[in-house]
Amino acid sequence: MTETLVLKAEGRDKTGTREARRLRSRGKVPVIIYGHKQEPVSAALNYHDLALELQHHHRLLGVELNGKTEQFLVKDVQYDYLGDTIIHVDLARVNLDERVQVMVEVVLKGIPEGVHEGGVLAQLLTEVELECKVTSIPEQVRANIVHLKAGESLTAGELELPEMVSLVSDAKAPVAIVRVKSEEAAEEAVEEAEAPETAEPEMIAREKTEE
Amino acid sequence: MALMPKRVKYRKYQRGRIKGNATRGNFVSFGEFGLQSLGPGRISGRQIEAGRVAATHFLHREGKVFIRIFPHRSVSSKPLETRMGKGKGEPDYWVAHIKPGTIIYEIGGVPEDVARAALNRVAHKMPVRCRFVKRRHVG
Repeated sequence: MTETLVLKAEGRDKTGTREARRLRSRGKVPVIIYGHKQEPVSAALNYHDLALELQHHHRLLGVELNGKTEQFLVKDVQYDYLGDTIIHVDLARVNLDERVQVMVEVVLKGIPEGVHEGGVLAQLLTEVELECKVTSIPEQVRANIVHLKAGESLTAGELELPEMVSLVSDAKAPVAIVRVKSEEAAEEAVEEAEAPETAEPEMIAREKTEE
Repeated sequence: MALMPKRVKYRKYQRGRIKGNATRGNFVSFGEFGLQSLGPGRISGRQIEAGRVAATHFLHREGKVFIRIFPHRSVSSKPLETRMGKGKGEPDYWVAHIKPGTIIYEIGGVPEDVARAALNRVAHKMPVRCRFVKRRHVG
């Protein structure tokens, strides 16, 4: 994990939509800090610094609040309707030797043998839940899929995880599958056959009155 | 075949207005790449189908195309050369009401450049301004 900035947070007494909007207009992001059975604290972080940290996939943020610097785990990030702007962040209190459960991205590496044979690769799972130490959260899990033949799949249990990292998600859940092309075509044909050919849909209300 | 509902409670709708932004269906959740609307609008079943055909033809049956919207509302129209009055017209076609931010299509199982080219072709068939978006991963 790369070095992280220490973000300066300012405490905030006022909460609510209006206050949050005022904060955002001043280039701040409202933040809530909770966990470890302590009272939740409302704070605000600088938007630019926070966005930079999240852009670099940092999960653990160093935050200076009331003259005290602590490490917090990013629990949730809320974005605006277009998914561009951060509007709120949840931070959780953690000890650096604590084990936490986090979602980590799965990245497929290589082109499977089955694709060369005419199959179609489908990634069914893009994130898996892992349990690991706060300080060693992997940025992503890379799965080598070169050996997959047509009709074969890779399950979450077969993913190669770093040391001291364990899988929480269902080990039998398929991560990637190489489908035979004829199956794909058959599925599409069924979908098209199921499409209604009537010009007008059936009425729910009319049925009830007849009954 | 254009999309339309199988069963409905009411045949005819009032036009209404599309207000606000999308708070649901506004992030990529099935594929890796998506087409996001930037404005409000009504997308008809035929336009949705045209977009699907454009994408699947371009992809040559590679990858998977997901349609994230459905035309639930009917639009009525009066027959040609008819005088005004005599009640509301009959349902003509079906539309999906789209708010800014809605993900209209998603594509998975293909590289980014291919998905971008496919969705660019689809965007030309849409009655609203659209943009290409990628799935956001946690962390």
